[in-house]
Amino acid sequence: MKTNKLVQLLWHVAFIITVLILLYPILFAIANSFKTNAAAFAAILRLFPVEPVVDNYLALFDKIPLVHIITNTFTVAAIITMVKLITAFCAAYALVFIPVRGSKVLYFLFLLSMFVPFTATMIPNYLTVSAMNLNDTLMGVILPQLVTGSGIFLLHQTMKTIPIAIIDAVKLDDIGHFKIMKDIVLPLLKPQIISTGIWLFIGAWNEYVWPQLILKTKENYTLPLALQLFVSEEKGSNFALIMAMSVVTMIIPLLLYLIFQRQIIGTFTSSGIK
Amino acid sequence: MIRPDKEFVGLKNYIDLFMNPVFYKVLKNTFLYILILAIVNCAIPYIFAFVCHFVFERFKEFYKIAIFMPAFISLVVGSMIFMWILNPLSGPVALLLRNFSITLPVWNITEGLAIVVISLITSWRVFGYNFIILYAAVSGIAPDVIEAAKLDNVPLYKVFKDIVMPMSSATGLYIFVITTVMGLQYIYTPISVLTKGGPNDGSSNLLYLSYHEAFVVFNSGNSAAISMVTIILFAIFIVILFKFVESRVHYENE
Repeated sequence: MKTNKLVQLLWHVAFIITVLILLYPILFAIANSFKTNAAAFAAILRLFPVEPVVDNYLALFDKIPLVHIITNTFTVAAIITMVKLITAFCAAYALVFIPVRGSKVLYFLFLLSMFVPFTATMIPNYLTVSAMNLNDTLMGVILPQLVTGSGIFLLHQTMKTIPIAIIDAVKLDDIGHFKIMKDIVLPLLKPQIISTGIWLFIGAWNEYVWPQLILKTKENYTLPLALQLFVSEEKGSNFALIMAMSVVTMIIPLLLYLIFQRQIIGTFTSSGIK
Repeated sequence: MIRPDKEFVGLKNYIDLFMNPVFYKVLKNTFLYILILAIVNCAIPYIFAFVCHFVFERFKEFYKIAIFMPAFISLVVGSMIFMWILNPLSGPVALLLRNFSITLPVWNITEGLAIVVISLITSWRVFGYNFIILYAAVSGIAPDVIEAAKLDNVPLYKVFKDIVMPMSSATGLYIFVITTVMGLQYIYTPISVLTKGGPNDGSSNLLYLSYHEAFVVFNSGNSAAISMVTIILFAIFIVILFKFVESRVHYENE
């Protein structure tokens, strides 16, 4: 769209400022993780450390079983994402294309579940998981997180944008829902599904509240949990170390993002429907 | 707290709750959080998405990548980093402002300010996600409609208000609901890391109060009552939303 060059410039300025604000914390954390604690306090504004050190990162490996924690986090996130995606996809499909008498009520309940304060479900879930002897295990962390109201909501909204004419045309051929799901809806919605999957993965990776309740021994921890360790032990004193741990926690999601951003963002701009 | 035999006290917890002034304060806070988040994270990303797609000619990719980045970072990590950045004594923001002779107020003990700051920290993360989703919706609008509008010389803001917004409203609705959920649930993390409910419950919201009652004061009856009230309030919210808004939303197959 042709607009006034000045208007364009002003918008660019607005965007640049926004980007700077959004990215600064990341740069801040990375920069300060490479300084010693003393240097960090002395020159907090400096984005490029005078004498970069990796001491903080090395210290991380000493203080906690870092590698194990990373694999834990990855396992938990991967399983949760897979199951959430499959259940949300099937549920959304059923809600949109197989209307039955209770559909609207069910949909309403799914939505409502997003608003339930986690405090209400924490205790019952904890008691259930304990009764199954899954305390302090990764399975105990995974089990209650296998479904998502928001996943169903998102896929529901996107499925509704598929012209119903397509589905009706196929129904004439009497193929059966499973095939329709697999061969028509799935390919059409691939971009949304991929990006939902990535988003779910990140969410599961960064999940903090529930793992905190279930996991007790450090070997079983997930990353965000381990990060909290540093804050309670050395309350604010080892700032640089906390920054280093933050960077480690951030790095996998960020790397995933940077690798897949072509796909994620690229697929967003093509509308598979047309 | 997890005693096997609990006394049945009927509606006592609810009555206590409704007579407790803290409940109303927290209710007000909850509403404020959602309001700020809705403005910063629904309205602005929508406009930005529109501008990025229709107004800009270059740098689109860069903006998209950059803006979306914080969405991938844990809010725990984000809160901690911001705790340092916004440190009123030695943080970068305070130092910068000092050059202009402005002192950064100690925001985590200032009542109104705590809510604003926590909302902004949560927004930092939520903005990118909403922006990208809305961008996808906006860019998926049939180009022929836009072309027709161009031929008719429709001014830009009208294109946004009368064409783009209605046609991407399915996604718009999703973003609004999700942002509300985030205003309720996500915000727990920064509250927990930074202010623990804030100066005199000044930054607490319904969710945090429920948590506080259960795990700090060990009053699970109150906590459950708060949870129920929350659920009912938002059930009403969803019903109203869907009755009045969803009927106006445009879905391709209706």
